[in-house]
Amino acid sequence: MKKSISILGVLLILGCNDPFVTVFEDSSDAVMYDANSKSDATYDSGGVKVVTWNIRFGIARFPFFGDSCGDDVILDDATIEGNMAAIADYLHVMDADIVLLQEVDVSSKRTGYMDQVQYLLDNTNLNYGCYASMWKADFIPSDGIGRIDAGNAILSKWPIETAERIQLSLRDDQDDLTQYFYLRRNIIKAKIPALTQGTQDFYAVDIHATAFATDDTKQKHIDKYVETLAEIHAGGDGDLFVTGGDLNSVPPGSKYDYCLQDMCPGEKYKDENENEIDYHSIDSLTGGPHKEGSYFNNFVGEREILVPLYEAYDAAIDTASYNLPEHFTHAPSTSLIDDSTATMYDRKLDCLFTNGTWSSGSEQTHQATWELSDHLPVSAVLNLGGE
Amino acid sequence: MKKIIFYFILTSLVFGETKKWDAHSAYLLPQKRWEMGLFQPFRYGYSESIEYSVHPLWFFVMPNLSIKKSQSDFAGFTSASQYKMVYPTPFLNMIAKEGTMGIIAPEFRMPPMLGLSASWLMSKTIFPFVSPYSLIGLDLTLKVGLDLGVTFGDLDTRSTIDIPLVYHRLGVYYNKWGIHTGLDVQKNISEKIGVLVDFDLRLLPGLGEVQIDPDASKLMGEYSLEHKFLLIWNKSENFRVLTGYKFVMGEYPYGSDMRLLPYIPMAETWVPIIEFQWARKKR
Repeated sequence: MKKSISILGVLLILGCNDPFVTVFEDSSDAVMYDANSKSDATYDSGGVKVVTWNIRFGIARFPFFGDSCGDDVILDDATIEGNMAAIADYLHVMDADIVLLQEVDVSSKRTGYMDQVQYLLDNTNLNYGCYASMWKADFIPSDGIGRIDAGNAILSKWPIETAERIQLSLRDDQDDLTQYFYLRRNIIKAKIPALTQGTQDFYAVDIHATAFATDDTKQKHIDKYVETLAEIHAGGDGDLFVTGGDLNSVPPGSKYDYCLQDMCPGEKYKDENENEIDYHSIDSLTGGPHKEGSYFNNFVGEREILVPLYEAYDAAIDTASYNLPEHFTHAPSTSLIDDSTATMYDRKLDCLFTNGTWSSGSEQTHQATWELSDHLPVSAVLNLGGE
Repeated sequence: MKKIIFYFILTSLVFGETKKWDAHSAYLLPQKRWEMGLFQPFRYGYSESIEYSVHPLWFFVMPNLSIKKSQSDFAGFTSASQYKMVYPTPFLNMIAKEGTMGIIAPEFRMPPMLGLSASWLMSKTIFPFVSPYSLIGLDLTLKVGLDLGVTFGDLDTRSTIDIPLVYHRLGVYYNKWGIHTGLDVQKNISEKIGVLVDFDLRLLPGLGEVQIDPDASKLMGEYSLEHKFLLIWNKSENFRVLTGYKFVMGEYPYGSDMRLLPYIPMAETWVPIIEFQWARKKR
């Protein structure tokens, strides 16, 4: 009897309490998915169409409090389902082979606990997936967010053999309490054996780098990304990868200050004492203070942070095109305050790279989808199988 | 003689059995005795047949009142009925806000809501035997009751607070009604030390049918089971300390979940309940 009670006690203490906020090791397994009903999953040796898309957890241009000028947090189920159906339809029409997704909810109060990875697998011709949380907590006691599980995902027509979640640095410009409840961004690295080329393994790599850090956290994220890609490139017989994501970094030579155009009506910067200050009103050298997420020159080298990627690998949208308006991939939902002056896209934050080669002319920034998210998908076809 | 028997029966009907430190049982507090704890309501034995209780700290943001009334013995059990009333709207609207401690999303305004609850309590000492210092046995309490959630306006189903202990208590407002039942066992293992074990089941029948969109599993979560174990040190009849745990498992909009409480998030660990309770008798 005493033994039973002891065992019960240990089980109670150790077994039933998952962490309130989930933290991750530097490297851990991603969560694997597959579609309830699979389409034909045989690779036929043609080119591989790759898409990256930050889908903003299916809330489209909803005035969410966190990244636009809205005050709302929880969208209604019907609208979310409609948005997700539109995203699924678009992926289906694109006939994407590999999709790198950012900001996907799998069990979040704000999106009705819809498992969006499973939904997309079940409503597209994609069959397999892997998912890595960047924000997982039983309850976020702020702004009514509540329970959250959001992160990155890779979807594929072909089986994913292994998928690794690679932890990125936490922001250093937050207090301990805020950091505890805040995002833990990551890279997912997935191995897709069906696309192995001879002795070269094939990987898909997905990243969502920090958006709002004002210190050099973004530099650490990009450094880790470059390191991860270099390891694949140097591994085995020079393994192949396709990669991309929401890098939250503008290409070299881009405009880097969006503070005033992203500013909400009447919005002020708040200092550490909650004093309200106009953006760009203090620092004569940099024009600070700046709006978090809208300024891309917070530290030395930030404006050239993507140069190593563009130099080392083939970019779907190359250096000659990346600052052209037709390849802008993002505008915050601030643009919807006034429909007549809406800015649908005004900067490029989302990129695709490979250490192989993209099929010339296959690259596309899908700006027609601007109503489905505050980021636009980028796609390109990888030359593979001797093409 | 008949008059004496009649008087005895009548008295037992009107005046229930009283007992100290037995908040969850059918026993009422002795007249003019009050008891309160850090996390327990203030209870007052108004008469031999009526006991009031109120959560004083919550009262100003969530007005509440409970009345326990003794009833005639039933099947050998001391019996009582308990009626609770709570008005949670002011507090819920306080936490429906932006920023830290915004537990409910700021876009929601909670309408006036009234929670009503009626319970039937039955208590009995089983396996009794007399020790040199007191009657020792198992104090068993069974309870069952009906909960009603009356709302005066539109209550958005997205405004639920989806955490253990809270979800099913507030779920009655979304489901309009619920059932609760439970079992308490208390035993003195020495003159000063006792243990309390309880199990409570809350049901929100048909909650799944209330949801807006069945495919999105919005308002799922028809049951929760709570269990508590407390070790009690009775320093005197006016002060005692309790420690132990509370375990809760149930179904929520996101699926099944279980948790051992209290839980300290940042330390990611369970810690024991520490509860102090005081009592006095009003002169």
